[in-house]
Amino acid sequence: MSIAGSAPSNAALPAAVPARRRRGVIRWRGLIPIVVVLLAIVVVWLTMGEALLRNTIEEGATKFLGTQVDIGSLHVKLRDATVELRGVSIADPFDPMRNLVEADRVTAELEGRPLLEKKIIVRTLTLAGVNTGTKRRTPAAPAPRDGFAASTLRSLNEWGARLRKPIASFTPIDTIRAVVLDPTKLASVRRALEAGVRADSLRDALTAGYRALALQPVLDSARAVTTRLSGASPRTLGIDGTRKAVADVRRTIARIDSAKKRLESLARDARTTTVVLGAELQALDSARREDYAFARSLMKVPAIEGPDLGGALFGDVSIDRFQKIMYWAQMAQKYVPPGLLPREQPGPRRLRMAGSTIAFPKAREYPDFLLRRGDVDLGIGGKTAASGKYVASVTNVTTMPALVREPTRFTLTRRSTAGVVASIDAAGVLDHVGGRIRDSLGVIASGVTLPSFPLPGLPMRAALGEGTSRIDLLRVGDRVAARWTIRAPAVTWRRTDSVATAGSVKNAMEALALRVIEGVNDLEIVADLTGEIAKPSLVVRSNLDRILADRMRTVAGEEIAKAEAKARAQVDRIVDEKTAPLRAKADSLRAQGEQLVADARARLDEEKKKLDERLKALLPTGGLIKLPGEE
Amino acid sequence: MLAFLKLLQSLVKELHSDGTPTRIAFGAALGAALGLTPIANVHNVVVFALLLLLNVSFGAGMLAWALFVPIGFALDPLFHQIGRALLGARTLAPLWTSWFNAPLVPYTNFNNTVVLGSVVGWLVLFVPIFLLVKWGIVRYRATYGERVRQSKFYRAVTASQAYNVYRWFRPE
Repeated sequence: MSIAGSAPSNAALPAAVPARRRRGVIRWRGLIPIVVVLLAIVVVWLTMGEALLRNTIEEGATKFLGTQVDIGSLHVKLRDATVELRGVSIADPFDPMRNLVEADRVTAELEGRPLLEKKIIVRTLTLAGVNTGTKRRTPAAPAPRDGFAASTLRSLNEWGARLRKPIASFTPIDTIRAVVLDPTKLASVRRALEAGVRADSLRDALTAGYRALALQPVLDSARAVTTRLSGASPRTLGIDGTRKAVADVRRTIARIDSAKKRLESLARDARTTTVVLGAELQALDSARREDYAFARSLMKVPAIEGPDLGGALFGDVSIDRFQKIMYWAQMAQKYVPPGLLPREQPGPRRLRMAGSTIAFPKAREYPDFLLRRGDVDLGIGGKTAASGKYVASVTNVTTMPALVREPTRFTLTRRSTAGVVASIDAAGVLDHVGGRIRDSLGVIASGVTLPSFPLPGLPMRAALGEGTSRIDLLRVGDRVAARWTIRAPAVTWRRTDSVATAGSVKNAMEALALRVIEGVNDLEIVADLTGEIAKPSLVVRSNLDRILADRMRTVAGEEIAKAEAKARAQVDRIVDEKTAPLRAKADSLRAQGEQLVADARARLDEEKKKLDERLKALLPTGGLIKLPGEE
Repeated sequence: MLAFLKLLQSLVKELHSDGTPTRIAFGAALGAALGLTPIANVHNVVVFALLLLLNVSFGAGMLAWALFVPIGFALDPLFHQIGRALLGARTLAPLWTSWFNAPLVPYTNFNNTVVLGSVVGWLVLFVPIFLLVKWGIVRYRATYGERVRQSKFYRAVTASQAYNVYRWFRPE
C-alpha cells in the first residue's frame, strides 16, 4: 500500500490498488452541494424569508428606538424594491400600556443601487391608517437595561430629579417637636451645659483656694497668744517677759495681716468668678436669639413668592413634558451625529466577541440610511377633541446628514375639521449638517385636551380640559432654550377622594390655598427651560401662582407671626429648663464665696482686735514708749 | 459523544486517505478560516465553496474547522486589536472609505474589528498551518500509519456508512 509522502517504492504498492487517474484542481462534484444549498436558500426565502426579515426589522427597530416595535406582516416586492409593512406599532417608551404610533400600512420604496452598498435609501415612505396614543393589549417589554434607550431614560430621570422644585407646603409648624426630642440642638442649651461644667470647676478652685489660706492655724495661734497673755501685765511679766510677750503679739498680728491679704486676694478671685459666670449667662441670652432663628428655619413656612409657587405647583408636569422632548432629542443626537469622521459602534451580538463596527462615510456618496420623503396620513381615533385626520411629512431623514447636506424637516398639519380641534401645526428641523447640532421644534395645538395632573402638596387635581398648548424648542450644541405654554380657559379643580371631606384639610393655610385655586377658572402656565442640556434651569410661572401669592402674603403674615411666637415660647421653655440649674449654681457660688470671705475676715479682725488690746496692755503708754532692748 | 466519535472518525480517515499531504494540508488551512473567523460572514461562504470545489481534503477542512473554533474564541481579543489597529490607521482610511462605499464590499463585514482582524490573522497563519499539517502527515504516515491501517479499530471506522459519503469529497 502506498503512503503519500513516504518514499516511493514500487514494491510497497499493493497489487489490488489500480493506478489512480490524475485529476485537475477543480472537483466538479462539489457543485452539487453548492447547488443544493442555493436551492435551500431559495426555498427558505420563499417560505420563511419575509417572516425572518420581519423579525430582523422588529429587533433592529426595537433596539434603535429603545421601545418595543411590532410588525404584523411584511411583504417584499423584489422587482420594485418595495417593502410593505402592515400592523406596525411603536410602544410609548414612557408608558408601556400605550402605543406612541400605530400604522395599518407602511410602504417604503427603496432605491436599488444603494442596497448593493448595504445602504437603505427610501425614495418614498407612505404611512396609512396612523393612530397615536392608542392602548396596547399587552404591556410593551422594557428596553434592555444596558441599551442606549434605557440609559437615556435613566439619565433623563436623574436630570428631571435635579430640576424638581420642593413641593408646595401649606402646613406651617410641626418641627418644634424635633427640638424637644433633642434639646442639644439649641445653642443656648449646649452653652449652658458647658458653662455648668465650668461653674463646677470654679467652685472647686474657690474651695481649694480657701483651704490653701490655712486660716485656722493662724486663728488658733492668735487665740492661744491672747489666752496666754490674758491678765498679764509688765509688772507680772517683768521687762524681759514683757518684751517677749510683745514680740509674740506683734508676730501673731503680722500673721493675721498676711492671712487677711491672702483672703482679700481670694475675695478678688471669687468676684472674678462671679463676673465670668455672669458673662456666661449673658452669652446664653444671645445664644437664645440664635435658637429663635434656628427654630424659625425648622418651620415649614409656605412658599409665597410667585415663581417658587409656580414651580412647586406645575414643575412636575412641565418636567414630564420636557423630558419626553429631550428623550427624542438625545435619540436624534445618537443616531444622527454631525460630521464625517469614521464612526465606531458595537459589533453585532454573536457567540464570538462582538468587536466594533466602524463606518467610513464618504462625501457625495449614499449614507447608510436616507428617507428622501415620507408622507403620513395620520388619524387620531376616538371621540376626543383632537380626533380627526392629519397630514405629516418628513424629508431627508438620514443617519449621515453631512452626506445629504440637507437638514431633516418635518411638518404636521390638520386636514379634516372633524372634532373640535381648531388647529394643530407642528414643524421641526434637525440640522446636523455642520459640526454643530442645531435642532428646532414648534408645536401649536388649540382645542386639544390638556393634561390632568395632581397638584403636589395639595389634596387636589387639576383637570385643564380643552385649551391651547404650545411648545417651542431650540437646541444649539449643548445648550437648550425651550418654552411650554398652556392656556386652559375652563380649568376645573377636583379634590382628591381621600380628603374630600372638609375636616381633612390640615390648616388655615391649606384651606386658603384650596379656596383661592378653586376660584381660578382661566389658567395660563409658562414653563421656561434654559441653559446647558446637562444642567438647565427651569422656571414655571402661572397666573394662579401670582393670585395665590398675593392672597397668601396677607394671610400667611399673620400665620407666620403666630407660628414664630409659638416657636419662641417653645425655645424659651426648653432653654429656661436647661439653664435654670446653671443660674442657681452661679448664684450659689457667688453667695458661697462672699459668705466664706466675710466670715474669715470677721474672725481675723476679731482676733487681731484682741491682740491689739493685749499689745496696748503690755506696752507702757500704749506703746508710745519702747521697752529696753525693743527694736 | 457522537460529535467526538465523528471527529475521531474524520481524523482517522483523513490521515489514511489517498490524498496527498499537500491537498490535506491545503484543506486544513482553508478549513482553519471557518474556525478562526466569525462563521456568519461572506468570506466563509467563499472558503466553504472553495473546500467543495477545489480538489483538496474536505474532511481535513471540517476537522480544522472544529479544531480552530476554540482557538478562534481564545484569540478574539487579539483579533479585535489587530482589526482596530488596521481600521483606525489614518493611512488606510482612504482605502477603507473607498472599499466600504463600493458595491457588495460592505457585506463582507470587514469594517468589524474582529472580522477583519481574524481574517488577517488567518491569512498570516495560512502558510504555517499548511506547512505544519503537511509535515505532520508525512511524519505520521512514515511512522505509525501502516500499523494503524492494519488495526481492527481502523477497519471498524472505515466500515461505517458515513465513510461512503466521505469518499465523495476525498481528494482524488
